[in-house]
Amino acid sequence: MLYRVIDAAELPLLVSAFMQQYEVVAPVKRGRSYVFDAIEHPEDMVLDYPTTSASLKKYFLPPKETLMRFNAQTNRVAEHTLEVPPRVIFGAHACDINAINRLDQVFRDGTYNDPYYCARRDATLIVGISCTPADSCFCHLWDADEARFGYDLFLQDIGDRFLVSISSVEAANILESACNPREATDQDRIDFRHATRRRQASFNPGIPDIQDVAMLMDAFHKDDFWEELGSRCLSCSACAAVCPTCFCFDLQDRLSPDGKQGERYRVWDACTSPQFAQVAGGHNFRPEGRERVRHRMYHKLNGFLANHDRMLCVGCGRCVKACKADINPVKVLEFFKQKGADDASAA
Amino acid sequence: MPLLHSAPAKTVEVNPLGERVTPLSGAELMAANPYRPWPARITSITDLTATEKLFEFRLIDEAIREAFRHEPGQFVELSIFGVGEAPISISSSPSKHGFIELCVRRTGRFTEVLHTMQCGDIVGIRGPFGRGFPFEQMKGHDILLVAGGLGIAPLRSLINNVHDERSEFGKVTIIYGSKNPSEVMFRDQFEMWRHRKDFDLYLTVDHPDESWDGEVGLVTKPFEHLELDARHTYGAVCGPPVMYRFVIDEMRKKGIEYDHIYCSFERHMKCGMGKCGHCQIGHQYCCIDGPVFNYWEAKNIQGSM
Amino acid sequence: MTTTELSGIGVRGQGRPARVVVASFASCFGCQLQITNIEQHLMDVLGQIDLVYWQLTDSTPMPEEFDIAVIEGAVTTEQAESQLKELRSKAKAIIAIGSCAVTGGVPGMVSRDFYERPSQVYPKVPHACGKMITPRPVSAIVNVDFETRCCPIDPYDFVVMLQRAIYGSNKLATTRTLCSDCKRNETSCFFEDGTLCLGLVTSAGCGARCVNLGRPCLGCAGLSPSANLDSARQCCERYGVDARAFDERLQLFNQTNPAVEDSDR
Repeated sequence: MLYRVIDAAELPLLVSAFMQQYEVVAPVKRGRSYVFDAIEHPEDMVLDYPTTSASLKKYFLPPKETLMRFNAQTNRVAEHTLEVPPRVIFGAHACDINAINRLDQVFRDGTYNDPYYCARRDATLIVGISCTPADSCFCHLWDADEARFGYDLFLQDIGDRFLVSISSVEAANILESACNPREATDQDRIDFRHATRRRQASFNPGIPDIQDVAMLMDAFHKDDFWEELGSRCLSCSACAAVCPTCFCFDLQDRLSPDGKQGERYRVWDACTSPQFAQVAGGHNFRPEGRERVRHRMYHKLNGFLANHDRMLCVGCGRCVKACKADINPVKVLEFFKQKGADDASAA
Repeated sequence: MPLLHSAPAKTVEVNPLGERVTPLSGAELMAANPYRPWPARITSITDLTATEKLFEFRLIDEAIREAFRHEPGQFVELSIFGVGEAPISISSSPSKHGFIELCVRRTGRFTEVLHTMQCGDIVGIRGPFGRGFPFEQMKGHDILLVAGGLGIAPLRSLINNVHDERSEFGKVTIIYGSKNPSEVMFRDQFEMWRHRKDFDLYLTVDHPDESWDGEVGLVTKPFEHLELDARHTYGAVCGPPVMYRFVIDEMRKKGIEYDHIYCSFERHMKCGMGKCGHCQIGHQYCCIDGPVFNYWEAKNIQGSM
Repeated sequence: MTTTELSGIGVRGQGRPARVVVASFASCFGCQLQITNIEQHLMDVLGQIDLVYWQLTDSTPMPEEFDIAVIEGAVTTEQAESQLKELRSKAKAIIAIGSCAVTGGVPGMVSRDFYERPSQVYPKVPHACGKMITPRPVSAIVNVDFETRCCPIDPYDFVVMLQRAIYGSNKLATTRTLCSDCKRNETSCFFEDGTLCLGLVTSAGCGARCVNLGRPCLGCAGLSPSANLDSARQCCERYGVDARAFDERLQLFNQTNPAVEDSDR
């Protein structure tokens, strides 16, 4: 990886340079929390933000997206073009970049590349930024506290400077034209190492580190714990809406008011939604909250791992805050920690 | 650092109609946007029972029709624009090109509308999707096919494929169970086959009437007098969820290997491409890892049976 | 309110426009009026149907034959109950529109100890309205095929439902609750500052319209069949909201729901 150093004071210049060619999306304050939104001026963004309430996936997999239009009278596809403007996401945390890398594994799987997702991904540059973990963060447990790829630039805050990892030609060009990037000095490297150690040391120690959670889940598939956890589920699917890696969707048709034309669109769906596993004729393969919550946790912490060798959880902690019923992966980790403690005292 | 030159940022477009400057082949057209249904005309409708019809479709676009090739056990996504889309397993044999047969039970909102459609009407089809039965692998072996009820729909594709390449297989046994004689589908075809020497065919119903001269009892009943060379037999099962365990038990008792028993699962495959998540069974996707799984795989999926 | 599946089978394939009647029971007539608020699309919608009766505008009697009955309002009299059953026997599809028809709505608020209520209000109970019975939603009396929820309805939601009744659709009526809509909209959660909101248990579908306007959900879309009231009460307590206030708020639109009626007072 190519590294250069820029002064923190140069950052607005970099953002302005991106603005000349791209729509710039960055974290901004809204109400009591932070969200990603398009900005007009570099000063609109807040780069030392805690995790935003919703993730970046909306820029690649919008909550509702028209896939095609159709003529309902002839039952044929009609003209429809999706135009994706060039965009820069400025200030993405490592967990969110790692989440997009996981979405890539699903939507750019090589067999069925999703043309809509790919178009958005291709039109988007990502500038990452280092962060300080909040209480609900556990990205380090799933090796998602560093982004190794999936970005164009990554800014490591080392005091009054940024150590910039440069990954793409487009971003390198803009960086060079807007700022005065220089070779890193020994002092820069020392400061970078300290910043990294500080981040690693500031994770909430109360969140148990259970590295073998996937295997334990297989062993405890029928445990009463899932009933305890799942019976609380409110079936709202807020968890999936905020999750940066939840990608499930539904395909639906809607007619124009005159019934002659229509659109086929996809909308976010969630495996915690009660009818998610229902088939024609009405049979539901996961009718109970217990089954749905367990399925979700399995897909996050076990199933995706089996297929892709990594968790479908990046430990961003959004669901920890979003779920009003207090259902989240941390509860699963706490359960296995408790199991371990019980076993030890029984021995 | 050297100054780099790159193309300026530009808008990226997706057009589901897939018009390109260079002409694409049928396969390329389908791959360019796998969400795009291709128009197909209903060319024949056969009433099979009071609730099931056999529809024959022809894809209208010649390049697409030529490129459409399937395996027995695969499915398509059938579109009626405005109503929606539904995954339906292909009933016709891969050995026959140019048309697609789907056997459809009137059981929900989509199939209710499909059943009102007429010959000449246009629908949309995309696919085929999924992993079917391992036809090539099955060659050179004895075959035991067990269907219950609507399970005959996907299995018929395999049955007819085996029929069309009969010399490639050893002994072929077919067991097809229904509740009542009135629910037996493709009865004419099977009546004819009953007298053939190269198929051992058992048609069985739970509740016979005076017209019935086949077997009586559950689909597992013919196993009582079935003689198999189990080590050289592939089994294939398709039917209602409750049937699997009983039939597979019988196959296992006869000595057929775990990974020589294939079953087709039903889930709601909405995208067909391992993305939308609706058809997940444990960590597997029914639409890309299945819908046909061997019993060993199925045993290793939490929640499959 | 029953939690049985809406059948959702359309009336398509009969070779002529669907004949539609719009009938009203106890309500403010606002949802019928709301239909006209699609304004520029009104003619487009009417072009797909044969509107044979509209209670708001018709003084002629309802015709004997029709395909789709659009029903507004809660059932509060014996006459309404028998009229509803008659509508059901003639219609191929019933669309219940608005909170009153779908959940019992505002008329349903008084359903508890109903027979004592009129005499508490009127010295002499008037007869003009017919013989009063405990207010109930349409689905408590007959099978309903489609529902357009909320108070008032969104006219575009109604058009979508009407089209589903005409042409058929494999879309299921959503049973998830509202909170994920707020997450999609990226609005802040009321519970985080200790304010009660019924999104926890209310059917999604409106897109969290009130929350987008800065007001908590009052539950006009009705309880989701998957509503988890016990868990919702615990959520309230966890966020410093009195669970009794939650139960009280449910009475506004969901009093006739068995899950609310049966819950501990």
